[in-house]
Amino acid sequence: MSRWEYFAKRLLLTIPVLFSVLTFLFIMLRAGPIDPVAARLGPQAGAADREAIRERLGLNDPLWEQYVDFITDFLTFNFGQSWVVQAERDILDIAVSAAPATLWLGAWAILLPLFIGIPLGFYAGLNPNTLGDYTASLGGIVWQALPNFWLSVMALALLRRTREGGELLGINWYTLGPDFAARDISITGTPRLEWFSTTDVLMLPVPYISDWTALAIDIKLILPPALILGSASMAAELRIGRTAMLETVNSKFVETAKAKGLSNRVIVWKHIFRNALIPLLPVITSEAFLLIGGSVIVEQIFNINGLGRIFFQSLTQGDLPMAGALLFIFTVIILGLNILQDFLYTVIDPRVGYDQ
Amino acid sequence: MPDPANGEAVESSKRRRLLGLLGGGAAVSLAGCSDQEPSDGDDGSDGSDGEDGMDGEDGEDGEDGGDEPERTNADKAQAAWERATSNPLPEDEDLRQEAYIEMEEALRDDAGLIPLYHGLTERFWYDYVDVPLSGALGAHWQQYNTTTVEGDTDLNLVNSTFDELDPIMSTDTASSAVITQIYENLTAFPNGVPEIENQLMSEYEVSEDGTTWTFTLRDDVQFHDGTEMTAQDVKYSWRRTVESENSERASFTTNQPVGLGIDVETDDDGNVVSDSLAVEVIDDYTIEIQLSGPNPDVLDVIAYSSFAVIPEGYVGDIDGYDGEVSHQEFSTEVANGTGPFELGEFNVDEDVTVVRNDDYYGEVADVEEVNWEIIEDTQAAWTYALEQNADIFAVPTFAYEQDAIDAETDDRGREVGTYGPEGELNEEVNYLGVSEISTFYFGFNVSNTQRAVRQAIAYVMNKEQIVQDVFAGRGTPAYSFLPPAIWPTGNDGYNTFLDEYPYSLGESDLQGAQSVLQEADITSDDPVDLTLTTYESEVFQTAGELIRDLISGTGINMSLETAQFSTLQSRGEDGDLEMYSLGWIWSWPAVPYGMFQLEPLNTDTSTMPSETNGFYLDWQTQLEEEAE
Repeated sequence: MSRWEYFAKRLLLTIPVLFSVLTFLFIMLRAGPIDPVAARLGPQAGAADREAIRERLGLNDPLWEQYVDFITDFLTFNFGQSWVVQAERDILDIAVSAAPATLWLGAWAILLPLFIGIPLGFYAGLNPNTLGDYTASLGGIVWQALPNFWLSVMALALLRRTREGGELLGINWYTLGPDFAARDISITGTPRLEWFSTTDVLMLPVPYISDWTALAIDIKLILPPALILGSASMAAELRIGRTAMLETVNSKFVETAKAKGLSNRVIVWKHIFRNALIPLLPVITSEAFLLIGGSVIVEQIFNINGLGRIFFQSLTQGDLPMAGALLFIFTVIILGLNILQDFLYTVIDPRVGYDQ
Repeated sequence: MPDPANGEAVESSKRRRLLGLLGGGAAVSLAGCSDQEPSDGDDGSDGSDGEDGMDGEDGEDGEDGGDEPERTNADKAQAAWERATSNPLPEDEDLRQEAYIEMEEALRDDAGLIPLYHGLTERFWYDYVDVPLSGALGAHWQQYNTTTVEGDTDLNLVNSTFDELDPIMSTDTASSAVITQIYENLTAFPNGVPEIENQLMSEYEVSEDGTTWTFTLRDDVQFHDGTEMTAQDVKYSWRRTVESENSERASFTTNQPVGLGIDVETDDDGNVVSDSLAVEVIDDYTIEIQLSGPNPDVLDVIAYSSFAVIPEGYVGDIDGYDGEVSHQEFSTEVANGTGPFELGEFNVDEDVTVVRNDDYYGEVADVEEVNWEIIEDTQAAWTYALEQNADIFAVPTFAYEQDAIDAETDDRGREVGTYGPEGELNEEVNYLGVSEISTFYFGFNVSNTQRAVRQAIAYVMNKEQIVQDVFAGRGTPAYSFLPPAIWPTGNDGYNTFLDEYPYSLGESDLQGAQSVLQEADITSDDPVDLTLTTYESEVFQTAGELIRDLISGTGINMSLETAQFSTLQSRGEDGDLEMYSLGWIWSWPAVPYGMFQLEPLNTDTSTMPSETNGFYLDWQTQLEEEAE
């Protein structure tokens, strides 16, 4: 089987996966213990009000009808309206308005570990069993062990104390860089993401950065949560990077390269680095679900109005269509990332195929 | 055994004193309070029965009625409720008050519902803010046109998430805090103090039978777009509460006694016939409503946010109107009311801004804008407050220190003073603590539990300790279902009720519990099982554990379980609960809006939720008398 047949097969396999996810969602949402009517109305509502809402939400239709509606609506991205969290608003609208903040957070949460975790891991792998290796490895393990929830709370408590007097290492976080204190900006909150404009180049709108201060504010706002959100994957990348490096360093082709008299620099960058990246690839792509899961907590504590927080609200408030739609969107994203990962594999590693 | 007997003797003499204090109609004392007749010599010797009064063979029945069968507490409550609802005219106020207190006493004596705490709202604000004190109904009733911020033109606040500015959809305090600034009602509770005042109304008249109410409107009110407010707008707004499919509080308009009870026609399917609501426009500034029966609480009910006035034809969600804006726009993007602020911007889940209405008919606001940052997480909210980004804020429990409060009780029972500096809060801020009009309680399905068991629980439950342990003291221990802020006979009456509270007050009375259990032949050798079902609430779960530990060894084997709120509700409606936790929050400070759920006939779970809508008590099973 050729590499591309393998890829096509993977692509087709996602279809049954998607369907089973949808069915599972339907069962969880409709047969689960949450009564959306009670969630929506609260304890004070009368029986007549409840019946009216039940009818309006379509909960009195036969189950198979609800199922068919559900599947067709979801496949066409027609998620309907939210029931509780933002009652009556289109779920797609809500998701679209909350997505930029999550993307902004996610992008930084992927970038930071990439540029901190991998170099540290490679450094540790190149200098095994030195003090530097031990420090980096131990630090990575401890950092990974700290729960995001705790880190977020501590980070907020530390940072807000730098405002008056209680400076951390002589740093006042509020006045560092763009001055938050003078602008009455909180260190929590949703990034506005209003620093770019578009200009027409040859009839095509091209975005450019129009407000560097706003960009700096948004970056400063997102750094602490992004660093925390990325903490787990940063540590994972560090450790896998170290192992991959160690394995590659000790492999025979490196010995050959050395015997050829190649310089250390060429060996590390051209031979070791590229080969060590292969095991890291699934780690990096699978970060996506860590980020989606983790952003629920981080967004909640840092008061960022993103997909994670909305997902959290819809789950706790029994907003079935919203929770279902977001789960579906997450599923589609993860399936997409898996396909992307397979694609990259087929491109990078010629050995990939279905039959060994 | 001698102990409670003595206690009861003392107790019942106090009750007699209360009766003397209350005075009131002679008929009432006769019908309702027979167990307190001074000539009832049995009371002392029959101690254990004292609480429920009528349960023994103490022959006192003969003295007050002769032909009646044994009168249970449920009978008393039912009779009191019927007396209160059949005398709805203003001059019968005293009679109703006594009837409600009788219901409260019957409930206490049967221990069908054991109140645990009343919510306590605490408000903190920096010294540069001058804001009127809010009252027991909650700060979401407060209009900020009389609030000033020194050195700033904006007032900055924190709010929870909400997503609708349509008054008929609003069922939460978060949205109503904003809606109050934009829309107004005929009447209002200014600052949430439970005293009704006119808002858009200048005067009212009520017919002799109490069913026709005529409201005269102010003639100087304009909507934010400059059009004048007239009676047509009121009619349209009130029609929306029943005819619009978006309305979530239609029952408040058409039901009695939980609502106004305006006459309305329904078709065969039970749907409201268009334009059949008995609201009649007499002239531009006069409107008349026809109720299905007299209702003493009309002025209180029309202050509820669903009765807010919007311009006629603004939204086309009822027959006969196309609407200037779509309902979705009306929910979150545009608003047009008569209030002191106009909607600025609403970014759902992020922030809301309202700007000053310079043409307001009343006192024009001092601040130019009010902003609410929407924060759900307490860590984020606390950070936001410490940064002085919020001018009025709440202190989360993890940062809260009760000793930092320096406050005195004012004449409305509110704690007013200062807080801090404490912890991260570097300066002294203003403090207000208000006991809310809400009650959280343990209820019992009385047909599944014995009275002795319920009373024993009431004896061991130390509410002070629970409030202290669970909320760091941020709650008011409750001894009655009716919160003190709306106690029918005022503060003195409430204190009298406290004085004669038969169970433990501020302590855990294990002996009392053992006595009632022994009386009912329940001992550790012959125990009974009791299941407490709580919803997912730390408070009730902790309280349940405390009670279970205290009661163990006395003959009650208590087990705890947790259910989702909606599961608890549906199990309650099925009569499938023994002891459970729930709460009630008053939407307007009227006693019957709460008490209706204690009418024994209305607690029949076999007909819930279609015909009855009371608490899940099944108290009707204790009725001996033929109900009227």
